[in-house]
Amino acid sequence: MTFDIASPPRQGGEARYDPAGDMTDSTGLLEVRDLAVHFHSAEGTFKAVDGVSLTIRKGETLGIVGESGCGKSVTALAVMGLIPRPPGEIAAGQILFEGEDLARKSASELRQIRGNRISMIFQEPMTSLNPVHTVGDQIAEGIMLHQKVGKAEARMRAVEMLKLVRIPAPERRIDDYPHQLSGGMRQRVMIAIALACQPRLLIADEPTTALDVTIQAQILELMRDLRDRTGTAIMMITHDLGVIAELAHRVVVMYSGRVAEEASVADLFNDPQHPYTLGLLGSIPKLHVEEERLATIEGTVPNPYSMPTGCRFNPRCPFAIERCRVEAPPLREVRPGHRSACWRAPLEEHVL
Amino acid sequence: MSAPLLEVINLVKHFPVHEGIIFQKQVGAVKAVDDVSFSLMPGETLALVGESGCGKSTTGRMVLRLIEPTSGSIRFEGKELTILPAAQMRSMRRRLQIVFQDPFASLNPRMTVGEVLAEPLKVHGVGSANERKAKVEELLSVVGLSPWHAVRYPHEFSGGQRQRIGVARALALNPALIVCDEPVSALDVSIQAQVVNLLRDLQARFGLAYIFIAHDLAVVKHVADRVAVMYLGKIVEIADKHSLFAVPRHPYTQALLTAIPVPDPAVERGRVMLQGDVPSPMNPPPGCRFHTRCPYAEERCRQEEPALRQLGPGHAAACHFAETLPAFGSIVDRKRGQAFGRVEAKLAAYKKALEARRLAVPA
Repeated sequence: MTFDIASPPRQGGEARYDPAGDMTDSTGLLEVRDLAVHFHSAEGTFKAVDGVSLTIRKGETLGIVGESGCGKSVTALAVMGLIPRPPGEIAAGQILFEGEDLARKSASELRQIRGNRISMIFQEPMTSLNPVHTVGDQIAEGIMLHQKVGKAEARMRAVEMLKLVRIPAPERRIDDYPHQLSGGMRQRVMIAIALACQPRLLIADEPTTALDVTIQAQILELMRDLRDRTGTAIMMITHDLGVIAELAHRVVVMYSGRVAEEASVADLFNDPQHPYTLGLLGSIPKLHVEEERLATIEGTVPNPYSMPTGCRFNPRCPFAIERCRVEAPPLREVRPGHRSACWRAPLEEHVL
Repeated sequence: MSAPLLEVINLVKHFPVHEGIIFQKQVGAVKAVDDVSFSLMPGETLALVGESGCGKSTTGRMVLRLIEPTSGSIRFEGKELTILPAAQMRSMRRRLQIVFQDPFASLNPRMTVGEVLAEPLKVHGVGSANERKAKVEELLSVVGLSPWHAVRYPHEFSGGQRQRIGVARALALNPALIVCDEPVSALDVSIQAQVVNLLRDLQARFGLAYIFIAHDLAVVKHVADRVAVMYLGKIVEIADKHSLFAVPRHPYTQALLTAIPVPDPAVERGRVMLQGDVPSPMNPPPGCRFHTRCPYAEERCRQEEPALRQLGPGHAAACHFAETLPAFGSIVDRKRGQAFGRVEAKLAAYKKALEARRLAVPA
């Protein structure tokens, strides 16, 4: 078999995601069910992720948004089997990937999956590459490990990967060390490493946050193009709703370790059903809209060791009623394919 | 028209680059800021925008002489700052303050917030101990914190609260100008909005002038009166905010504006995509510094450096072909999502509810 990731699409196009297609197909590529990740410390137990469920279908891009400490990165690390234990543990829940529960796999079984069927790109292209190995060796390492090929073959594929992520003169660049590359180029190398084994799922944790805007635009365009060509499903973690609007098909909004809202990208931006999402949308200064004063979200995120009772957003929520302070709202369907964890959803019926 | 508060003329900063360990010799210079001029009126906000390494922060720090300029002139309230002796410069800093980007690194972890805020007053010999204490409490309430926060240490605060403390410290001596060096870049979006609103309120209340350094044009559009776009140590375009966002004249400004991901999936994305990276400021390209990435570059751009020239009232750009560039549709008029009205209505209800709550529970 010749290695030809550059020719679209593999497996007869089966992996391609069609947003207008059959939404009732429940066979997700990744299904996270009631995931709870706890960290134990002297101060007590920190429930970083507290009952999160989400699904990623084949070829779909799921955006996960939220602010620092909302549990979005911990969710991704749990899927990758990278939660440090101790102090962390997967306290409950299932992580079903192509039908197998990753939460119950041993470390060596996870190593077979990581970098092969699921891979990840991190925020910091400076610190996630090894400074003492050439970028070629770092790309070839995964290929040799998972695809059982020789050194020469792996190097050839590494050049192809560099070409795929549009690094100029890949035959020369392959022998460069990370410090010889710019930030944008390093992130391209990271993407090349992640895609080298043609993963089914790519987890991207704030892949463009550390980059300048013009470089960010290049990387986002590259990711969109590679996604469309390879059919890889993407879990896109970011705090930037702009990035979500550019790349995601569906969005999960997280707050304090829980899912606040889940919807298609169009529904989320046009018809948000959770006050937190509304606050986030109001907080971003918009380039294409004139506005006098930004809507804000008052206060700060709750202390993880003393969560408010009821809905965790209730102390900051302008729409909160008595019930919100007492009873935690479940994530329930407000409209087809649109779920919100808010007692006052649908908002237009209760607060307008 | 009144006199400008600050005038920066032909400001230059070259950082020498040395080679060798014992016998060092200078092998070149990083031209961090190369011939930058601008002025600022009292109560005005000028934003300096650009990507990493464009010299925006160096420019901001040179205004306070935290970095000594290589050459050029900085006139503040009619006085030339570059020739002031150190002691006089220090007393000048009563009028000139700075808020730093990183709210975690810019507060001394071993001082309480009260001590942090009282220190500038002490250094400049303002008031007695009791008066200073009263002033600290006043400052805390001005930035939306409580008087009892004065006895706490910085690590007990969140990022947004720390940035409020940084702002309070800058306000302590009643300055006329505050340089805000990426004051919200390190904060979460909801907290960003709080700090941006705070900065605007304080400006209205105390008549402050800001030099607002940022890489995020959307934030800049919200806070600035005028905007200077920098690229590789030079100002490539400077204009009134409305005119810059409506008719950007420099190809780099156009690229920056379209590069920002728009938080609305229904917006059309006509993008000026830039290829490659920013060249090294040690060895900037000849001619126009932007020509290596410019989609419209011609032979002339490679040879002749364009001057920053006036293209309209208060609008200058450094491009040979500013008049003949393809038309660039105003970013403000881009198409919105059809269902936009629904979000607007909900946002309006959200703001109203917030306001009602603020009145019900006095802070």
